[in-house]
Amino acid sequence: MKLAEQEQLFCQWLTAHRGLLWRVVRAFASDAPDQEDLFQEILLQLWCSVPTFRGNSKESTWIYRLAFNTALVWQRGEKRRRRKHEAFTLHAVGASEETASSGRSEQEVRLECLYSAIRELPRLDASLALMLLDGLSYRQMGEVLGISENHVGVRLHRIRKQLTERLKGQADEF
Amino acid sequence: MNFDEIQQVWGRQDAGGSITLNTNLLLKEVRRNQRQFESTIFWRDFRESGVAMCLVYLFGRAWVQQEDWTYGLLALACFGVGLFILVDRLRQRRRRPMMEDSLRRCLLTSLEQVRHQIWLLRNVFWWYQLPLLIPYFISILHEAVSVKSVLIQGFVIALANWGIYLLNQSAVSKSLEPRERELEALLSSLDEVPSSDHG
Repeated sequence: MKLAEQEQLFCQWLTAHRGLLWRVVRAFASDAPDQEDLFQEILLQLWCSVPTFRGNSKESTWIYRLAFNTALVWQRGEKRRRRKHEAFTLHAVGASEETASSGRSEQEVRLECLYSAIRELPRLDASLALMLLDGLSYRQMGEVLGISENHVGVRLHRIRKQLTERLKGQADEF
Repeated sequence: MNFDEIQQVWGRQDAGGSITLNTNLLLKEVRRNQRQFESTIFWRDFRESGVAMCLVYLFGRAWVQQEDWTYGLLALACFGVGLFILVDRLRQRRRRPMMEDSLRRCLLTSLEQVRHQIWLLRNVFWWYQLPLLIPYFISILHEAVSVKSVLIQGFVIALANWGIYLLNQSAVSKSLEPRERELEALLSSLDEVPSSDHG
C-alpha cells in the first residue's frame, strides 16, 4: 500500500470512528495522562494495521478488535514511551456557554459514573459492555473477541446485572 | 437505574461530534511515534550487541598486538554473546503481537514474549555471565602475579556478577511475572464461560 493511501485511509478511519476510539479509551483509562497515553497507543497500532486491512471484515469490527486488543494488553501507568513533540488536539468538549444546561451536565455526570462502573469490570467484560451499549449483535461481539455467541450471551447477562447493581445507588442522587 | 436507563444515558452520549481531532496533526504525531519506537528498538539492539562487538574488536586487537591467546578467548566469548543477543532480538521482532489479530492470538503472542523475557533473565548466568567469566578467569590465572591478587580479583568479579544476577531476578519477579499472570488471567477468562444466573 502506498503511503498516500495509508494516510488517506487512516484519516478516514479516524474521522469516522473517533467516537468509538474515545469510548474505548474512557472505558480503560480513568485519568487524563493515562487516557492520552492509551489513545496514542491505539492510534499507533491503527496506523500500523492499515496496510494489512484486506476488507475481509467490516471496518468497525477491525477497529473494535484493534482498539480492544491494544487496551487489553496496555499497561496502565507504565513509563510514558511517547514523548509528545506537540500536544495533539483532542477535546472532549463539554457544554458550551450558550447551550449549558443542568440537564447536560447531569448527563455528563451520569455518563462518567457509567464509565467508572465499566472500568471496574474485568477487562474482557468491559469490552463486551462497550459493544453491548453500542448495539453490536452477539455475532459481531463474538467476532471481535474470538469467542462463541453462547459465551457472549452468558457473559452479557452477568454484565447487565453487574452494571445495574453498581449504578443502582447513583440514580437516587439525580 | 435499570439497564434501559443505562442504555439511554449511553445513547445520549455524542457519537463523536463533540470530539474534535486535528487529523493532520495526529497523523504527524503517529508517524513520529512510529519512527521513535523503531529508533528505540534499533538503538537498544545496537547498544547491546554493539558493546559486545566493540569488545571483540578491542580484545582481538590486543590478541594480535600482544600475542596473548587469552585475549583471543575473551574476543571469542564476546562475539558469541553478542551474536546470541542479536539473533534473539531478530527472532523476537518477527513474533511481535499484531493488534488486528484475534484477541486470543494477540494475548498468546504477548504471553510468549513475556515468557521468553523471563527465560532470558532467569538464565542470564548461563548465556551471558558464564561465557564471559570463564575466559576472564583464565586470563587472570594466566597473568597472575600472586595468589592473593587472583583471589581478590576473583572475589570482586564474582560479587559484581552476583549483583547483576540478583538485579535480573528482581526484574523477573517484580515486573515480568506479574505481567505474565495478568496475561494468563485474561487468556483464561476467554475460555471461562460463567454459569448462567437464574432469576
